[in-house]
Amino acid sequence: MGKPSVWSSNRFWRRSATWVTGVSAVLLILLTFDSMSQMQMGTAQDIKNKVDKRIPSPVVINYKIDYQLSRKRGHEVPIIGGMDANGNSKYEEKEKFFGRDNYSEKEARELIHLGKLTIQAKNCMDCHTLLGNGAYYAPDLTKAWLDPNWNTLAPAYGGKEYAMATFLQNPPAMAMHERKMPNLGITKKEAKAVVAYLKFMSAIDTNGFPRNFGKIKGAVDAWK
Amino acid sequence: MCIEPCTDVVCSFWSRLNQGPMTLTITLHMLIILPMIWIYFDEKKKMEQGDIPEE
Repeated sequence: MGKPSVWSSNRFWRRSATWVTGVSAVLLILLTFDSMSQMQMGTAQDIKNKVDKRIPSPVVINYKIDYQLSRKRGHEVPIIGGMDANGNSKYEEKEKFFGRDNYSEKEARELIHLGKLTIQAKNCMDCHTLLGNGAYYAPDLTKAWLDPNWNTLAPAYGGKEYAMATFLQNPPAMAMHERKMPNLGITKKEAKAVVAYLKFMSAIDTNGFPRNFGKIKGAVDAWK
Repeated sequence: MCIEPCTDVVCSFWSRLNQGPMTLTITLHMLIILPMIWIYFDEKKKMEQGDIPEE
């Protein structure tokens, strides 16, 4: 019999496996806490203090939302309430949303909550994708609020949000593609809430996801 | 300055470590692999000394 090798020793592999499993478990726990801090929703106070959060407070629906290429980060980022010289959000420029730009945190939260419930109840994810979850039968809704097509429809309806809400209440009547969205019986109140959710969602920093959105002509300055 | 200011939205130890090319990957692999090298030599030493009990 030759000299026993460490590579064929059970003890070596057992100790290595224990080490790898242990370190990975600890790492996953640490990274979970890191993700939790990344996912923490911001507050109205954060917006007032101009503190960037991945998920801003629902009061973000009171502000103008834009999508610009960040040279520093190498992809598009949501710009809330105007952009300063350094390419950061100013949180200053407001924009009327259904005639108001003074939704309180409570009101805005209730609105996007109803929007979320409607999106879940109507199974939007059967066809659409939201924040990476769902299907690709219909357009990705993550940045739908920023879709330039709504800007062309806006004047006829008195604003982008009205055009979107009208569409949602009877999509076949306003069909824009061959692949028509069915009428899901969304009420006026629900439609407003869904649009609020879409506006809020477009302000979430998704690290440039969906990647192809920036290539839509007119969607962002970077690709014009 | 050799450490770049954090560009992430919400900065943390991990996001700073993730800024350089492969710095996070290399650190995590080192954390796992370096002790395995120590385990290897430790086992080798025990084998040579005949410290390994029969399984």
